[in-house]
Amino acid sequence: MLAATISACGVAYGDEIKPAAAADVEFYERKIRPLLAAKCYECHAQSAKRREAGLLLDTSAGIRRGGENGPLVDPQKPAGGLLLDVVRYDADIQMPPEGKLSAAEIALLEEWVRRGLPLPADGSSVIRKQGIDFAAGRKHWAFQPLKHCQPPPQSAGTESDNPIDAFLGAKSAEHGLAMSAPADRRTLIRRAAFDLLGLPPTAEEVEAFVADSSPNAYVGLLERLLGSPHYGERWARHWLDLARYADGNKTSLEVRAQAWLYRDWVVRALNEDLPYDEFVRRQLAADFLPELPPSELAALGFLGVSPEYFKELKLSPEMIRTIVADEREERIDALGRTFLGLSLACARCHDHKFDPISAEDYYGLAGVLASTRLTERFVVPEPEVAVVRKAQSELRKLSDEIAKLKKVKLPNPEEKDRLAECERRVRELQESTPHFQDALAHGVDDAALYVEADGPAHTKLVYKPGEPQDLAVQIRGNPEKLGRTVPRRFLTVLSTGEPKPFTRGSGRLELADAIVGQAAPLAARVIVNRVWALHFGRGLVDTTSDFGTQGERPTHSELLDDLAARFVASGWSLKWLHRQIMTSAAYRQASTYDKRAAAVDPDNRLLWRMNRRRLDVEAWRDAMLAAAGKLDLSLGGAPAELYKNDNVRRTLYGRIDRSDPDDVLRLFDFPDPSAHAPSRAPTTSALQQLFVMNGPFMLRRADELANLLTADDSATPETIVRQAYRRVFAREPSATEKRLGVEYLAAELASGKRQAAVARYAQALLGSNELLFVD
Amino acid sequence: MSQPNSSNIFSRRAAIGRLGGTLGAVGLGSLLAETCAAAPASTSPKVAPRLHFAPRAKRVIHLFMNGGPFQGDFFDPKPGLTKYAGQRPKEVDLRTERATAGLLPSPFKYSPRGQSGVPVSELLPKLGECVDDLCILRSMHSDNPNHGPALYMMNNGTITPKRPCMGSWFLYGLGTENANLPGYVVLCPGRPVRFAELWNSAFLPAEFQGTYINHSNLDPQEMIPFLKNPSVPRGAQRKQLDLMQALNREHLRDRDTDDALESRIKSLESAFRMQTEAAEAFELKNETATTRAAYGTGHFADACLLARRLAERGVRFTQIYYGNGQPWDTHNKHHEQVRNLAKTIDQPIAALLNDLKQRGMLDETLVVWGGEFGRTPVSENGDGRDHNHYGFTMFLAGGGVRGGMTYGETDDFGFRAVQNKVHVHDLHATLLHLLGFDHEKLTYRYSGRDFRLTDVHGRVLKEILA
Repeated sequence: MLAATISACGVAYGDEIKPAAAADVEFYERKIRPLLAAKCYECHAQSAKRREAGLLLDTSAGIRRGGENGPLVDPQKPAGGLLLDVVRYDADIQMPPEGKLSAAEIALLEEWVRRGLPLPADGSSVIRKQGIDFAAGRKHWAFQPLKHCQPPPQSAGTESDNPIDAFLGAKSAEHGLAMSAPADRRTLIRRAAFDLLGLPPTAEEVEAFVADSSPNAYVGLLERLLGSPHYGERWARHWLDLARYADGNKTSLEVRAQAWLYRDWVVRALNEDLPYDEFVRRQLAADFLPELPPSELAALGFLGVSPEYFKELKLSPEMIRTIVADEREERIDALGRTFLGLSLACARCHDHKFDPISAEDYYGLAGVLASTRLTERFVVPEPEVAVVRKAQSELRKLSDEIAKLKKVKLPNPEEKDRLAECERRVRELQESTPHFQDALAHGVDDAALYVEADGPAHTKLVYKPGEPQDLAVQIRGNPEKLGRTVPRRFLTVLSTGEPKPFTRGSGRLELADAIVGQAAPLAARVIVNRVWALHFGRGLVDTTSDFGTQGERPTHSELLDDLAARFVASGWSLKWLHRQIMTSAAYRQASTYDKRAAAVDPDNRLLWRMNRRRLDVEAWRDAMLAAAGKLDLSLGGAPAELYKNDNVRRTLYGRIDRSDPDDVLRLFDFPDPSAHAPSRAPTTSALQQLFVMNGPFMLRRADELANLLTADDSATPETIVRQAYRRVFAREPSATEKRLGVEYLAAELASGKRQAAVARYAQALLGSNELLFVD
Repeated sequence: MSQPNSSNIFSRRAAIGRLGGTLGAVGLGSLLAETCAAAPASTSPKVAPRLHFAPRAKRVIHLFMNGGPFQGDFFDPKPGLTKYAGQRPKEVDLRTERATAGLLPSPFKYSPRGQSGVPVSELLPKLGECVDDLCILRSMHSDNPNHGPALYMMNNGTITPKRPCMGSWFLYGLGTENANLPGYVVLCPGRPVRFAELWNSAFLPAEFQGTYINHSNLDPQEMIPFLKNPSVPRGAQRKQLDLMQALNREHLRDRDTDDALESRIKSLESAFRMQTEAAEAFELKNETATTRAAYGTGHFADACLLARRLAERGVRFTQIYYGNGQPWDTHNKHHEQVRNLAKTIDQPIAALLNDLKQRGMLDETLVVWGGEFGRTPVSENGDGRDHNHYGFTMFLAGGGVRGGMTYGETDDFGFRAVQNKVHVHDLHATLLHLLGFDHEKLTYRYSGRDFRLTDVHGRVLKEILA
């Protein structure tokens, strides 16, 4: 890109320069080159660690061409030009940045310019070829076609016929490691239930599973869990982290749309096992798919809930363009990392420093987003929308008339009647028009956004519906410095041959098709790895949203390839993928620590045991509500604040506001919803434990649990302990646990109120590590 | 889909292993030792880097005049304003948020103060006595004249809310000095505009976010979230915690070795101590009457005194927002409003600086004062001033900066920074430098690249270092 830009905008001032006179060359060598070397080469030489602004001052060609900001001198202004402006600190750019040159040094440069930039004839100095070698870039592992790999033979002694175990076993064997023994059934059902539903199994469910001796017991369990409507809730939340889902975005002022329609769409799509490729297509381009029912337009929330940054239209278009470019960057970042595991936003200001993604690639995609408008959408069929629109139009007229009538100081009877009639009609329209009160979804449609001057000082945003636009490369990310215009198109490195310009509207559907078509190998690897990471606590590729050259390599590349290939062959079925993973011996093994294995593989990258995982805040909160017998499992609908009015719905339904996040969720590592979150970084802090000890939510749950435990007045401490373990951990207490509990209760009951003492006991169980962690 | 929390895979050892490529064996060892010492009750998935060089400051107190004070009223005298009052020379024809008219002189008189003779206006008589400790940056500038973007810029170095705030970077870099207190505290007697986005850790781990405390009620139990149990007395709570810990140890017995389980057991103990320690830290009643009198009264005075107490106890970054909303946003009746505002900050800031000095803490505590931007020297609405990001004043004190100096200049009317300009990025670079970090090296890998507070900008103001 840079090469193209330089030749496009670098006026070829130097091309006509004559060989310099010997005296001029000497002047350059003695005065100018040392000055440039001392003050400029750090950033503007071939040897520079970071070459800034595409400017090379250590070659003749570089000096003659100038950099991204143009040539160094302007033949029209012999005493001025870029070089002199920047060193005089007269321009926006002030060089050198660490301090202005002395007057004497500036005078030398003025003299050099006056002489016409004489240079020695070092024809050998060339600008190193810039730009990306896409052919080499395509060789990166993650971009290779998927291949079914013949699994190695299963390790001796294993009964598994799951290819996952064959791949893992072979690699472990190379290191002298083997899998741990299978987890016991109690551990397994708790693990599976939290993984698939984010809910603890009840004691009855645990007992039934433990007692089920049929060979299909476990498979049956998985089918029951995968068939539960709560499966979609659990996995939707994982997806919403990627989609930076929020219910509120206070910087946009008059938003009536309801983000939860998108959240509920994700839940539904996952429950129905919508093929993942279709899942992607609908989120980017449901409005391009006329065969879909209108309810599917809610899928557009992935783009529709994008953060919007405040745009003060009293400011200049230049400032607003920067904000608009920031918004596009965030959307490209979310899209690139979510679907492709690529950090595309890095290419906004320059070619990606590590990955084969050019700035032109970035602006090819940015054009798609620049042709896409965030909007509110009805999710009912168009004829019904038309009825609502008609009603709205009538309502506006009525409102105007009512306003007028109300201004009349002494209305005559006729006017009074008319006012009453208008008001009656308003009520009628609001109440009887079908879908009038429907929530609108956050969606998108095709409309190009232009940021234009509005008078001498202000700015206006002009949307041109149905008209796509291509963007020019913004040099160094500056919207006022434009390079070549790039057609809307897909990434070069993932295209077969030169990427073809998108032709249908904004190109969103073509983009989605490219992601799950030409880029299917990458897209499949990324989603398979995410699901793997959520089951094992860590991906085969550790950097779940970075499959570029800076990301980690897969620990088991053949396994990832094979699984991804079979996933695509399965019809991109996520439920198929869960079954594959969860029926493996690797998933079913115990999480027991082993000193010898840990010495070989301390990070358990070879999966010689199951990773112990901490529940995320949603599952933890839900589990406490469940233990207290209070969890409301109703599905879907509008969100509500979690900690006001004692909301007992699943945490998924808590209101998420970008500018006013829920303190408790954030305390427990809920990600910032203003950007894509590839993973939750678990932290442990004292402030969290203050919530455990003193938080009203904890106290209330403990109180409710105590009510259940003390419902029978005659319950002995031993009965209470046993009941409590059953409710909180779905198991019997051990002898030690029973003793600790009974001793505690006996002492506390002797000195205080029964209910309060039991509540303190209950809180200790709810706050314990056992509830928070899954073996 | 984000990864679930995993107890054993993000062990410190794993994190260091991942950094291993960039650190030598020696670095690794000392890194491990430092991290363990610094944060015994806290685990993070990525280990913060070591200091890059000897720090001059261990902590920062940021006095944030939210809304934006006018630079010409305090430390940047502009006789030109009076000379050309009401006129609109072409130099001041700069675009701000709203329509402005001619030059509006500042009525407040300046006189040279201290040994250094740096001029300070009559609005700050007591702070003027401390001028020999102040390094006044007259040439600050920022990128955007709206509150939101400018507040983000001052806090996170961009005009959008999606980057970690400077306090999060400080804490990420420095680690906590006192596990029984939050390391990054935000005090405000209300809600500043943009609220929690101003202390968000964004993609840095959540433990590095600011803890917001509304100190309009000075009862420590009311200030700190979940500090007090309304129903369980302390003794009973100790017994309850003993039980929980016994159960946790019983649980751990079969699950040895697990850092995550152990560190949670430790942090429960920290939390128990925090109930006492934080309550004590935030209890202004423990101050003498003399000290209380020195700071004076009012929310801002209380906050300054709280900040000193927190600094003493190892809090790394205390940020005080002057008030609810944006009290310094004087679009109307500017002179009248600023006179009242100045009265409420003059004595408390002077007292804070003197107090820190008396306790021998000023050398290692950096105090920062300023708004998200300044205001226009031209009038708006007749007697108000509009936002101005082209030029404004901030000051630094203590923590390794030179006192009794001014740095940089604005134009003849104080509108635009013209000489030795200091962008917010440069301020950030300098703050990090004073804390012992190379701002180009304090990075965090996210979204495919190493992010830093100063992005691709920032210049350390070497000229102001003591």
